[in-house]
Amino acid sequence: MPADRASAPAAGDRALRRLPGEQPPPATTDIRPSLRDRLLGRARAEPRADRAVLVLHDVSKRFPNGKVALRDVDLTIPEGDFVFLVGPSGAGKSTLIKLLIRDEMATRGEVVLDGQDLARLPRRQVPKIRRKIGIVFQDFKLLPKKSVWENVAFALEVTGTPGRRVRPAVDRVLSLVGLTAQARQLPSQLSGGEQQRTAIARALVHDPRLIIADEPTGNLDPLISWEIIQLLLRINELGVTVLMATHNADVVTALRKRVIALEEGRVIRDEVGGTYHRTD
Amino acid sequence: MARFVIFSLRRAWQGFWRNALMSLAATATMVLMLLLLAGFWIINTGLLAGLEYTESKVNVIAYLTDTITDSQLLDLTDRVEAMPEVETVNHVNREEALQAFRDRRGAQNEEDLTQFLASNPFHASLEIALVDASLYSTVRNRLVGEPVVERVINQRDLVDSLLTVTGFLQTAGAIVLIVIGVIVLFIIVNTIRLAVVARAEEIEIMRLVGASDGFIRWPFVFEGALVGLLGAAFALGILAVASDQLGRFMFDFFRVLPLQLGTLTRDVTTLVLATGVGLGVVGSWVSVRTYLIR
Repeated sequence: MPADRASAPAAGDRALRRLPGEQPPPATTDIRPSLRDRLLGRARAEPRADRAVLVLHDVSKRFPNGKVALRDVDLTIPEGDFVFLVGPSGAGKSTLIKLLIRDEMATRGEVVLDGQDLARLPRRQVPKIRRKIGIVFQDFKLLPKKSVWENVAFALEVTGTPGRRVRPAVDRVLSLVGLTAQARQLPSQLSGGEQQRTAIARALVHDPRLIIADEPTGNLDPLISWEIIQLLLRINELGVTVLMATHNADVVTALRKRVIALEEGRVIRDEVGGTYHRTD
Repeated sequence: MARFVIFSLRRAWQGFWRNALMSLAATATMVLMLLLLAGFWIINTGLLAGLEYTESKVNVIAYLTDTITDSQLLDLTDRVEAMPEVETVNHVNREEALQAFRDRRGAQNEEDLTQFLASNPFHASLEIALVDASLYSTVRNRLVGEPVVERVINQRDLVDSLLTVTGFLQTAGAIVLIVIGVIVLFIIVNTIRLAVVARAEEIEIMRLVGASDGFIRWPFVFEGALVGLLGAAFALGILAVASDQLGRFMFDFFRVLPLQLGTLTRDVTTLVLATGVGLGVVGSWVSVRTYLIR
C-alpha cells in the first residue's frame, strides 16, 4: 500500500462525511486506517484531476486472425472522473477493457495505468496492477457456492491478504453497498441488483484506483439499474475513478457525464456532458 | 509464505471435496493405473529374479577321468577354486552321479534300468558355478588343458541364449514400464484437466481480482498430489490384501526364489507412492498452465 493513501482523517471529518443510509462505523480498537477511511481520505485529499489514472496513446489492437479491434485510440482519464464508454456491439469496448486489465496486449501504442506502462510490465507484476482495478461484469461472475461475504472475501484471500485484515475490509465494503444484512446468503437467494452490488463490493475490496464496469446494468430492470448507477456514482464521489461501458441510453443521457463513443475500433466522440446518441 | 501454504492446502482440500465425484474418478483412474504399474513391476522383478537364479545355476561341468587320484582331485579343486571367475566348486563322485540319475528316473516314474548294468557308467565331475555366466569360455579353456579332465561340457549355446533372453527382458521391461507411465500421465492429465475446467469460472475470477500465478496454481497442484497420494494409498492397500495370494503365485510361477520380499515391498511402495504423487503434481501443473497470465 502506498503511504500517501494511508492517512486517516480526523474522527469528526469522518462522521461528517458519512453517507446517507450507511451504517455508523463500528466501535473498533483497530488503529490501522480502514478501507473506508482511506476511501474517504482520498476523497478529501484527492482526486487530483491533473493526475491521470489511465492514458491510452495511439493504441491499436489487431488480433492474430487479422481482425483489427482498435485503431489509433487516444484517451486520458483523470483521477476522479466518471466516464461512459458507449458504442454498438463489436465497436471495441470489450477489447479496450481487456487491454486495461492486461488480459490482452496492445499491438501498437501505450496503455499507461496509474503511471505504469502495461507493455513494459513484467509478468509477475500483472496481478499487482489488477488489484488497482475493480472490475464488474454484466453477468456478475459470483461463485454460486459461496455466500455474499465469502465471495467478497475471496478477492482478498486469493491475493494473500492476512486473515485479520479480511474481516473488517469485507464488512466495510458490504456496508458501503448496503448488503450487511444479506452477508450470509448465497447468490441464488439474492435479486439481480443485490448480486450486482455483491460484485461491486468485491471490486471495491482491494481499494482500487479505477472501477471498470462492463455493462453492469445489462441484466437488470430499469429501476434496479438506477440503483446500481447511484451506487457507482457514490463510489465515484468517494474518489474512485469509474469507467462504465453501457448500452443504457437513458442513463447516459440523463447523467451528462463524460461520454466516449467507439465505432469500428475508433473513438468517434469524446465529450463532457454528452448524451448516448450524437446530438448534432 | 506459511499463509500461502495453508491457503493452498485448504483450497486443495475444499476443491477435492467440492467436486467429489470428479476427484474420486481421478483417484480411481490413478488406483487402476498404479495397480497396473505395480503388477507389471512385480512380474518383471520376479522374471528377472528367476532368470538370475537360472543364470547362477549354469555350471561348467568338467568330467574327470576315472583314474584320477585323491591328491590330483584335491589339487585340481584347489586350483579351480582359486580362479577369480569361479564362485563355487562342487565335486560329484561316481556313486553320487549314479544316485542322482536314479532319483531323476524315480521322480519321473520310469523304471530304473541301471540296476542291470555290470558297472557304474557315470564319471565323477566338478560342477563349477561361475561369478558371471559370460566368463564361461575363459574357465572352459583352462579346464580343457588339465590332463585329469576328460571332457568339459559345452554349455556355450545355452549360456548365450540365456544371456540374450535376460538382456531382452530387461530392455523390454524398461520400455513397457515407460510406455505405461506415459499412458498413465495422459489419462491423469486429462482427468485433472476436467476438474480444472469445472472450476474455470473460479480461476477467471481469481485472475481478475489480481491473484498471482502461485495462488492459482498451487491449490490445484496440491489437489493433484492429494489425488496421487490417495490413489497410491488405495493401490498399496489392495496390494497388501492380495500379497499372500501374490506371493504364492510368484513362488509357483517362478519356482525360485532368492527374491527378497522385503526389498520388493519397499521398491513397490516407493514406486507406487512416487508415481502417484508425481503424476498428480505434473498432471495438475500441466492442466492449470493454460489458465495463467499470458
